[in-house]
Amino acid sequence: MQSALEYIRQRDAPQTGNQILSRPGRLALVAGLLVLAAVGPVIQSVQPFWLNLLIRMLTFALLALSLDFIFGYAGLLSFGHAAMYGTGGYAAALLITDVTASALVVLPIAILTGVVTAAVIGWLSVRARGIYFAMLTLAFAQMLYVVAFTDLPATIVAAETVTGGDNGLYGIQLYELFGIDFRDRLNYYYLTLGIVALSLAGLVRLANSPFGRVLQGIRENEERVEFVGYDVQRYKVIAFSISGGFAGLAGGLYVPFQSAANPGLLHWTVSGELVVMVLLGGMGTFWGPMLGAGLVVLLEDRLGGVASWEIILGGLFVAVVIFAPRGLAGVIVSFRNDPRAAVGQARRAIENYVETVRG
Amino acid sequence: MVETILRATLLGLQLGVTLALIAAGLTLIFGMLDVINFAHGALYMLGAYFGAVIAAELGSFWLALVLAPLFVGVVGAAIEVLSLRPLYGRNPLYHILLTFGFAIMIQGTVLQVWGGQARRIARPDLLTGSVAIGSLNYPLYRLFVLVVGTILIVAIWLAIERSNFGILMRASAHDTEMVNALGIDVSKVFTGVFVFGAVLAGLAGVLLAVSRSVNPGMGMGIIIEAFVIVVIGGLGSFRGAVYTALLIGLVTSYGALIAPTLTELFLFGLMAVVLMIKPNGFFGTTEAA
Amino acid sequence: MVRRPTGECGNRAGSNRASTPTISRRQYLAGSAAVGVGSAFAGCLGGEDRLTVGYALPFTGTYAILGESIVNGFELYLEQNDGEIDGEEVETIERDTEADTNRGVDVTRELLVEEQVDALVGPVSSAVAITMMQTIENEASAIWLNANAGDYRVTEEGCLNYHFRTSFNDWQTSAPLAGWVYNNVADTVCLAYADYAFGQNSKNFFREAFEDAGGEVVAEVGAPLGTDDYSTYLGDIENSGADAVFSFFAGSDAVNYITDFADYGLNEEMTQTGSGFLLSEDTLPAQGEAALGMYSLLHYAPTQETDRNTEFVENYRDAYDSSANVYACQGYDSAQAFAAAVEESGGSDPNEMADALGGTELDSPRGSFRFNPETHEPIQNLYVREVVASDGEQPVENQVVETIEGVESPSWGCSL
Repeated sequence: MQSALEYIRQRDAPQTGNQILSRPGRLALVAGLLVLAAVGPVIQSVQPFWLNLLIRMLTFALLALSLDFIFGYAGLLSFGHAAMYGTGGYAAALLITDVTASALVVLPIAILTGVVTAAVIGWLSVRARGIYFAMLTLAFAQMLYVVAFTDLPATIVAAETVTGGDNGLYGIQLYELFGIDFRDRLNYYYLTLGIVALSLAGLVRLANSPFGRVLQGIRENEERVEFVGYDVQRYKVIAFSISGGFAGLAGGLYVPFQSAANPGLLHWTVSGELVVMVLLGGMGTFWGPMLGAGLVVLLEDRLGGVASWEIILGGLFVAVVIFAPRGLAGVIVSFRNDPRAAVGQARRAIENYVETVRG
Repeated sequence: MVETILRATLLGLQLGVTLALIAAGLTLIFGMLDVINFAHGALYMLGAYFGAVIAAELGSFWLALVLAPLFVGVVGAAIEVLSLRPLYGRNPLYHILLTFGFAIMIQGTVLQVWGGQARRIARPDLLTGSVAIGSLNYPLYRLFVLVVGTILIVAIWLAIERSNFGILMRASAHDTEMVNALGIDVSKVFTGVFVFGAVLAGLAGVLLAVSRSVNPGMGMGIIIEAFVIVVIGGLGSFRGAVYTALLIGLVTSYGALIAPTLTELFLFGLMAVVLMIKPNGFFGTTEAA
Repeated sequence: MVRRPTGECGNRAGSNRASTPTISRRQYLAGSAAVGVGSAFAGCLGGEDRLTVGYALPFTGTYAILGESIVNGFELYLEQNDGEIDGEEVETIERDTEADTNRGVDVTRELLVEEQVDALVGPVSSAVAITMMQTIENEASAIWLNANAGDYRVTEEGCLNYHFRTSFNDWQTSAPLAGWVYNNVADTVCLAYADYAFGQNSKNFFREAFEDAGGEVVAEVGAPLGTDDYSTYLGDIENSGADAVFSFFAGSDAVNYITDFADYGLNEEMTQTGSGFLLSEDTLPAQGEAALGMYSLLHYAPTQETDRNTEFVENYRDAYDSSANVYACQGYDSAQAFAAAVEESGGSDPNEMADALGGTELDSPRGSFRFNPETHEPIQNLYVREVVASDGEQPVENQVVETIEGVESPSWGCSL
């Protein structure tokens, strides 16, 4: 039986070579971010609600980015990313309610919470590999979900409530930062966009650093990296913690925006959906999963009124796996490289499909 | 006290065998096809819905028990042939996306066709009433589930160990090329395994639909529990899945006696501890994906 | 009536601060200039007058049936009035909250900001309602017709002027039953509940009232939300030695719990009583004969033989080819409340609507009820219902055995 990691090694080596993003790719991303920044005021004047949707899409893009760093790039399938997202979110909620609403204090602590959660989970899990690692991370995340849902901390410290049980914490105020009024959605949009852009830049830089090369090496061939003398487990824990920090940041951004933190943030369906977003977008490319996340959030929202939206979304997932095995990123890259060949490839893919089904 | 423990034990075993039916399919599909089947819970749900419809239309629990799993098998065959077959040899991680897609599609379809109202299959007259076990009155239907489940598990076990198909199955998993070289169409074996797993899940769905409400959320509710069992037992190991299912059944029912709200915490805690001590589960032989 | 000229609809440009509660968003926006008009503003084009209602309800998942029934009830009223309220055409917009609390917030925001609804109908889940409070308060742009979420904390902690419970609160469906149980059924009870906020509230309210009445609670048994098998908990209930049990379970949990209760023959040893959702029209078909002889308390029973209700049930059947249930009644009353608010305030300004609606009496199929002006909780009759065999399409149905009139809930410190 071949392991997932071997498959990745053989079949899914990133198209971009060792660099996580080529120079044109980076330029395209910067251009994309500038466009997003420019359209803000336009959307504000035409249909302000779309800003809410964009903020959610960006938040999930950040989450998908954090997962892609550890999953697509370093090869560790985390099925418990909701743990860091949720603890970061709860930390923000508790701080804003009881201590301060200053973004300069709360956001770094949300990141730190994510890092610490991930460090503990990572330290306990990295010896297991592949699906076993995935299931361990899932186990810890689900345990945190139960802890939040039953408000176990309140029982332990004999307080009336800490996590608010199944209703969660609500009425969370927005951030304070340099006197900016975040009740204006455009301002919150720019805050989110700025943080997402910085996170992306930071992770790309990290991925292309010597540290990133070691992670990539671990994904390609763990034994060899170990043989060369690197402490593979330690690298994995550190990478997982970094990823967790970004997930915590996403939680810290999302909770005040929603004005609520509830156990649903920690539920396995969040982690599961994230994995789906990353795979849909095309793992290991950073921008692909962000696109995938944005698309899933957008579709869930827009199709929400359509009774059969689950059928449509599910059908999309199935179609992408069968006809676009590298996800959306793969489709976009092959179209950019050679549009005509891409059409030919698509036709061949369908022919191949029909042939294999016939047997 | 004795009564309480006896009741909890019987319940634990009954939960155990039904979970084993679901987990067995899941672990066989993984062991053979290398597919992480997120749609397995949805197939279990389909079994319950098909069973409920057949029982209501034809008025017979027994017909439902036989027919519904077969229909689920047909759905399983369609999924395998139309989507999994073209994908073998591709990164198995993408099967997560694929089967997750099927899971929500099936859930959406069920909701469209049958609505969100909870249903149930009426208990067959033959199995109404209860049996006195010592001082405990135990419902007859529950004993029926326990007995039927046990017989099925033993039968499957023997089939895998002894029958030609079982040997072929294990050989195909072990060395695909070798079996192909012998002139046997491995893809048909794979389809057979997937359909077999689907039928087992459907069967569990019908069996439980008498004592549990049938609703569109039931598939997503059971899938993670089934994965926990399969992973603790060791991916691909039938024996591991059965033992672990019984263990989890008992942990769940005894857990309800001690600290009900924390049972789920026990469950995941148990998985974490087992995996930290034995990183490949109890009976996992290979370092699976 | 506040007419809605084109200019008011689209524009949010400039310093878009949340308006203070005393100035409604629409009044505030009336001052700003018109810019772009997207297709989403079709309702605004040509200055056409129209009222919009947004449903924030589950249309997928376990509670889909509740969402659907509430919408049916609401639309039945609209149909009976040619789709108009006070001469204005009414447009309705559905948004699915699923069972996800975060979706609830998104949906609320979408309906209030994007669709600019005049009234928000929903949600089903209390956890969703509680997270919606902040958004509704911030936007201050619509009245909130709470068509099912019964958590008392929406009043205790929210106490929003816009909030009207067109349904019930968790005190009403538990506490008033205590006296009846003590007088008619048993002196000792065991409490069984789904271990989450709503279940905990219900059993606490019942305990308090039962002890006040002179009864004794001998045991409490909490089972996790979503428990599939109640064998173990039923053992604890049986061992408590109580003569009756008061239970709070809903949906699938209620089906499983009641079926298991009968399976173990506990219905021969003790009397089952509970909050109405334990034995309601969405669970009874699956519970079937297992539910016979059990009592529950609710503000509605489809079998009530009043002219008003008979008419409602018949109309509902004609329109949707299915039986009316408590959720449909809550949806219908939400529509009645909206109509009353618009007619009496002479427009769709949320503050004026809210002021007009406090104290208004509605002629509901459940029996007339009015909103307490202090809390906007309903002051309504509650019915003790017994499950009896029926010769209708379902084998069993609820029959009212006693009416507790004009039940007013505590104010929980809310004073509007």
